[in-house]
Amino acid sequence: MEQLIVNTQNLNFSYNKTKQDIENLELKIPKGSIYGFLGPNGSGKSTTIRLLLGLLKKNSGSVVLFGETFNNKTRLKILNRVGALIENPSLYDHLNAVDNLRIAANYRQNIASNRINEVLEVVKLTDAKNKRIKEYSLGMKQRLGLAISLLSNPELIILDEPTNGLDPKGIIEMRTLIKDLNETYGTTIFISSHLLSEIERTCTHVGIIRNGKMIYQDTVASLKASKGSNIKLDIEVDKPIEALSILRNLKMENISLLDDFLQIEVKNKEEITGIIDVLRAEKINIYQVSIKNNLEELFLSLTEN
Amino acid sequence: MTALSFYISSIKNEFIKLKRTFAFWLTIISALLFPILFFIAYFLKHKTNTPEVGVNPWEKFMTIQIENSIPFFIPMFIVLITSLIMQIEHKSLGLKHLFALPIPKWSIYFGKLSIVIFAIITTYIYYYLAILLSGFLLGLIHPDLAFLNFQPEHLKYIKMLIISFVASLGIIGIQFWLSFRYKNFIVPLGIGMFLAIIGIIVSQAPQSIYFPYSFSVLSVSLGDKMPLILGVSSVTVFSVICFLVTSILGYIHIKNLNIK
Repeated sequence: MEQLIVNTQNLNFSYNKTKQDIENLELKIPKGSIYGFLGPNGSGKSTTIRLLLGLLKKNSGSVVLFGETFNNKTRLKILNRVGALIENPSLYDHLNAVDNLRIAANYRQNIASNRINEVLEVVKLTDAKNKRIKEYSLGMKQRLGLAISLLSNPELIILDEPTNGLDPKGIIEMRTLIKDLNETYGTTIFISSHLLSEIERTCTHVGIIRNGKMIYQDTVASLKASKGSNIKLDIEVDKPIEALSILRNLKMENISLLDDFLQIEVKNKEEITGIIDVLRAEKINIYQVSIKNNLEELFLSLTEN
Repeated sequence: MTALSFYISSIKNEFIKLKRTFAFWLTIISALLFPILFFIAYFLKHKTNTPEVGVNPWEKFMTIQIENSIPFFIPMFIVLITSLIMQIEHKSLGLKHLFALPIPKWSIYFGKLSIVIFAIITTYIYYYLAILLSGFLLGLIHPDLAFLNFQPEHLKYIKMLIISFVASLGIIGIQFWLSFRYKNFIVPLGIGMFLAIIGIIVSQAPQSIYFPYSFSVLSVSLGDKMPLILGVSSVTVFSVICFLVTSILGYIHIKNLNIK
């Protein structure tokens, strides 16, 4: 069996008595994985992360990190192997990046002094290292937060919504950085996000949480496989109603019309050409054919009631 | 890593965090405020303040200044500086980060408390130096004030300041706990200011020796009438007890707090 870096059992937590915020959560993060923790806003992602780090006191259940149960005795030992970026990064606005990193390095005590420049280089903030954080953009702050979590070369990095507030370029850079860390150092990475596309592109494993309950947990590959082999298409044509009846005559299943788009399910990509040929033969103009992201639908169907 | 090294790194970091903050400047501004006022008063009315021949001018200058500024001002100052220093952490959302680092929680709580106390002691030192400096300056400008002809009785005044500081420890413990607990600094500031004013108002009542916010006034106003416990001023004893109890309770409370 693969080694688990994070393993929670029957984890329960509530902020108040009226609502159970985390319910019997079993989170299993294998060593060396990039684990995407997916769920809508307010589903309990941040709460789970805070429980893992001991910021919140669980009501019942257990949290095991690196094979050791998290408690007051093992707290320091475990946290020494973890780097975390929890929601908005904790940065001192009136200080510059170097001071902020120095503070984190001083607390951890065993950080070599050139490590500060190294992590600044990794997150590409070397040029802005003497600027006060006040003058930083949201994306720069997020990157500095990541740099702080990298300082100690942790075996596990926990990132809570790391791409929040980043522009498209920033998101791509963050994604590359995460993959590099994982590939080069074998760092296990735990990312929470409410964006499926984010997780799909970066992660090897995925857990989907809704209302504090884990509703799906497996590898991204098997999530993709589980949605069935059919491919869903959206086709935009000039005469949708006509096109619909033509395709219905071909005895194709699962055809529908939504906002002037034909929605069709096919078994393989070859069938797409066939459909196009049939429609063109009837002089129907096709403006676009797109394969729908089924994972997105699956995610919505999993997280919606 | 030993307990001491955790404590030292915590202190070191608190100093870095104080850089370029208003809290840092407040220690200097507060210390200079009264010496400047007294300097102006003596400068403008140096005739009326000229001592009789052979009388040490420092005695009146120091005593009046310390007795009239410290008791009322120090509680307000403590309320403000404690809230401001904690606010550096709250504003940066620092607690969730600190409590997820591999460092003991006590080193965070007591490291910060130490810095608050350090800032207050620094203010006392600046204050004392500022009074001395203003006296010497007055002596240079108006030689008839005779400040240059006499030496101040340092020991006596330093003792007054130390008594005042120890009497303030009680509210340092309370205010620090409140400031650590509440992100919104209006809470500790409002409660603290309110109680500090109450402390001044009720300081006439004999029961006020049990009310920490009156200790600063009482430590100066009671003088020889101060009730003693085992030969030590009761305000001093109660203040130290209040400090120890609230610091320890505060730490236990914070340690078990859910960090949202």
